[in-house]
Amino acid sequence: MKHAVISCLHANLAALKAVLNDIDQNGISDITCLGDLVGYGPQPNEVVDLVRERAITSCQGCWDEDIIEGLNACECSYPSQLAEKRGHLAHEWTAEQLTDINKDFLASLPTSIRRDRILFVHGSPNSQHEYLLPDMNAFAALERVEKAGADTLFCGHTHQPYVRELKNGSIRVRLQNTSNHNAEDKEINLPMRKIVNAGSVGEPRHGSTNATYVIHDDVTGEVEIKEVAYDIGLTCQAIIDAGLPRIFAWRLSHGFEFAEQAEDASHVCER
Amino acid sequence: MIERWALVSGLKGDLETYELIQSELKKARGVTALFVLGDMIGPERNCDALLNRLQNPRRKELEPQCIYGWWEEQLLTEQGFRGEQKADTLRLNQGEEVVSALLNAVDPSHLKWLASLQFGFIELDCGLIHGSSADVGDNLTSETSPLILLDRLTRLAINRLFTAHSTKQFHLELTGGGIDSQVKDLNGQHQHQQKVSKQSIIGIGAGASYTIYDVGSDKTHFLTAGGQSNSKGKGFA
Repeated sequence: MKHAVISCLHANLAALKAVLNDIDQNGISDITCLGDLVGYGPQPNEVVDLVRERAITSCQGCWDEDIIEGLNACECSYPSQLAEKRGHLAHEWTAEQLTDINKDFLASLPTSIRRDRILFVHGSPNSQHEYLLPDMNAFAALERVEKAGADTLFCGHTHQPYVRELKNGSIRVRLQNTSNHNAEDKEINLPMRKIVNAGSVGEPRHGSTNATYVIHDDVTGEVEIKEVAYDIGLTCQAIIDAGLPRIFAWRLSHGFEFAEQAEDASHVCER
Repeated sequence: MIERWALVSGLKGDLETYELIQSELKKARGVTALFVLGDMIGPERNCDALLNRLQNPRRKELEPQCIYGWWEEQLLTEQGFRGEQKADTLRLNQGEEVVSALLNAVDPSHLKWLASLQFGFIELDCGLIHGSSADVGDNLTSETSPLILLDRLTRLAINRLFTAHSTKQFHLELTGGGIDSQVKDLNGQHQHQQKVSKQSIIGIGAGASYTIYDVGSDKTHFLTAGGQSNSKGKGFA
């Protein structure tokens, strides 16, 4: 059966409506969301309301967590003080706007969802803040999937959709310890694993302005990356009307987020 | 010039063993640095004498460079140095009496010094950490999956990781291997093969079991204070 996976909605109602419409047109009713329903965008309540109305199974993203828990992430999440200041502004605005019911809903979301050997998370199994970028060290990427006991890991957070297959892996080791005086050599074969990043509905960073999501066929294992155009002007105007930083509208209309890309994407905030 | 490091951990307040190691290091050739990779304290005995000595080394004695370990982390957490958390893992696994024993084993005057210690050192291309780059309590042994070991090395972009938490002495070298990575995105499909470069994880032991690392030759010597060399394996000692 086919199911759709969406992520990083970022309070962008026009984008979410367009993606849900596209999913409906594909005849898919099973949808999983990988978090970050809010943050940056101008319609946090409307987006959370729609996710609740459609009963979309969701896990919690880093923005959802921060709205509930207070700002947990340290400055390492931002590449500059200016970016951090803008992020804090968006955080405060979103926290003010969200209704108690919607805050309770975000607080109730799990950090991961498991379906047999498929795991759904926002960032990585380690942390909602960890970025699994497509060029991450292949062994480290495999470790994230393997440690989580999954065959396929669905994640978001990077806003860049991709499907990564890790296969034909092996590691040779030589061991010397105090109980054996001769070195012992062995080779370990690694299992094949897959990472699927669903990209971002509400704030794409893959080089285009279109929203992205993925369709997964759990029988064939095939994954299709989908791009959906939406009325960007509508969201940009709402950002400006809400008094949010204008750069949020600018980067939506350019499809790239130059200012907010972390320098060390593999860094995990421990705070 | 020969440069060798001595690596010690898990003394848990045992000043006698520390003095024995120091006396052996005086006789050893080329040892220029002494790294104490945490667990200087523990609940079994009063640790004040050892902590005083580590902070005030004697003349002609190698000055210890210390980091904090799992037991220090438990004490600092319980004493409020890690926010609102308490030493719940310790309490859950070993009971309230062990938490009390730990608190009693260290005079509060040492807390400031203990809290000032770093998580680890990076020396040359080596990481010196009590557990690993993932956690102070990461229990790396020769049985740990090589995939996890490789991940711990990758996180710090180092070639050698000296670890202590398992208390074991071992030298596990990653000698080769590789993996195919195929990425499909909206721009198409890309294939890449990543190779395993030569890297090592070294368990340094604990208490009287300590390790000497020869920086120039990349050889490891496993020793026991007051005893013989534990390993002189080919390529390692």
